[in-house]
Amino acid sequence: MHDHFLAVEDAGISFGEGDARVRALRGVSATFERGTLSLVMGPSGSGKTTLLSLLGCLLSPDEGTVFVDGVAVNELSGGEKTVLRRKKISFVFQAFRLLHSLSAIDNVALGLEIRDGKRANQIVMARELLLQFGLGDKLNREPSGLSPGEKQRVAIARALAGNPPILLADEPTASLDAEAGRNICQILRTQVDQNGKTVVVVSHDPRWKEFADRTITLSHGQIKPQAQGQYA
Amino acid sequence: MKLAWQNIFHDRARFLATVLGVSFAVFLMVFQGSLLVGFLQAASRFINASDFDIWITARGVQAFEFGATLEAREREMAAGVPGVVETGRACMAFAVYRKPNGKQQVVALVGADSNLGKHFPVPDPAETTESRSPDSVVYDASDRDLIEVASLPAEVEINGHRANIEHEIEGFGGFLGVPSLFTSYRNAARYLGVGPEDGMYVLLRVGKEYSVSDVQRNLRQRLPEVDVLTREEFAHKSRMYWVIKTGAGSAILTAAVLGFLIGLVVVSQTIYANTMENIEEYATLKALGASRVFVARIVLIQSLICGAAGSILGLLAVVPAMHYARSLIPWIHTPWWLPLIMVVLSLLMCSLASIASVRSALTVDPGRVFRA
Repeated sequence: MHDHFLAVEDAGISFGEGDARVRALRGVSATFERGTLSLVMGPSGSGKTTLLSLLGCLLSPDEGTVFVDGVAVNELSGGEKTVLRRKKISFVFQAFRLLHSLSAIDNVALGLEIRDGKRANQIVMARELLLQFGLGDKLNREPSGLSPGEKQRVAIARALAGNPPILLADEPTASLDAEAGRNICQILRTQVDQNGKTVVVVSHDPRWKEFADRTITLSHGQIKPQAQGQYA
Repeated sequence: MKLAWQNIFHDRARFLATVLGVSFAVFLMVFQGSLLVGFLQAASRFINASDFDIWITARGVQAFEFGATLEAREREMAAGVPGVVETGRACMAFAVYRKPNGKQQVVALVGADSNLGKHFPVPDPAETTESRSPDSVVYDASDRDLIEVASLPAEVEINGHRANIEHEIEGFGGFLGVPSLFTSYRNAARYLGVGPEDGMYVLLRVGKEYSVSDVQRNLRQRLPEVDVLTREEFAHKSRMYWVIKTGAGSAILTAAVLGFLIGLVVVSQTIYANTMENIEEYATLKALGASRVFVARIVLIQSLICGAAGSILGLLAVVPAMHYARSLIPWIHTPWWLPLIMVVLSLLMCSLASIASVRSALTVDPGRVFRA
């Protein structure tokens, strides 16, 4: 039985008006179990990022329901969604989205400050996270001084700061070379296996299939029949 | 709040451009404001310099500089109104001044009785301890170059009458473009050909136990052919005349209003552009779960740092500029509250512009945060 930890039920959403109206998702239902890594694939315009935005409480569906940690988020106010996102969800972006003026350690510490502003030892915890990802010698580097793979590892460290249970990743390896991309896949898989995180990855990158518990394929805003990954 | 400081420190060139924009705006607003305030103050300077409560002028006189003669009986009738405890006279008209070197110059000649108050420019104010001849003539230091006297006392001519310039005073530089000379009422009346008992302005002091407005009402009934104004009313009338009905005043008012608006627009636009540079980072913070207050606080602090630095720089630039301007425009005046108001308004505009610019980031657009 599903506990609706992270799920969409019969969700649909459209953008635009009149003739320009586009149905980005229609009748999409999917459940993302705790402690799994789900891969969402599909061609451009199939609705992958829209689905991620619904799961991340950045958009509300026109129809259907989105559940996060068992809560139906449709009816929550903007402020309540922000609080839910702060406590439960974190993002990893294709373009890293690190704050350009902050060092690696300050970027991670900022993630901690956002999630738990009262925590006193933010810098110590940020250092520990970066050390885990092999960035001990890059703590005080600004993003401009890091390679793309290092930037993405800092971004993942920031996403994990404050220990949110859900991690949503949008094309996290698209800007990386093969080795760095594989490293990121391994890091996220480890977070699922060792820390019980629930990870949803949107990607065109077929390498993810071998790290995913399941793959959802979207086409024209609808889910295609499900395939199983090696961890399933 | 480290992020706000780090953004500034990291983008120093942008910070400098923002600060320069704000400082230019503050400089412009304070300078133009000083011109307007100085002009308004100069337009009613003589009226405010007296400590009498009521001014009687010929009907329709718009400003101190354009008085008309009143008959002696108006003063005598006014003196008889209950509540009037003292009267005084003042006059002002243009006259021809012949310098010691023989050159001629049009001057504004101001004459007044010595009892008009210690601030009114007369050769022998009642409260002075210095020994001065009541019939001597004095001038403002800012007019020294136009008066052209090598040493004091100096013998000159005013409207063909011999006169003695004996002293130099400060704080009464004219804005009419001609130098001003000050002397006793009796002397000025003689130079201007006004009857010794006639007046141009009759000033009345009201007893403490009387209401100025009651006495004014009483005077208006007794003297229906003249204007009876309180000091504040006449000062206001004079200021409005100069600033609205004259080309020079209108130009100064328009320049001040435009300077004020341009200043505010420059501040807003500069801060808006500065905030928009980092808009995607603010959207990222919001996506990561930062509250509106968290993001707004960062943006606000960053803007206020820029605004404060720009304001300080602008004020530092205004000080020497005003000092130099005062040597050219003696009536320009910067009251203490003007820079304060302009700085507060600039900081307010910084806050509003930054919040306005960050509004779009406060509602996270997935297209903005997920775009590569």
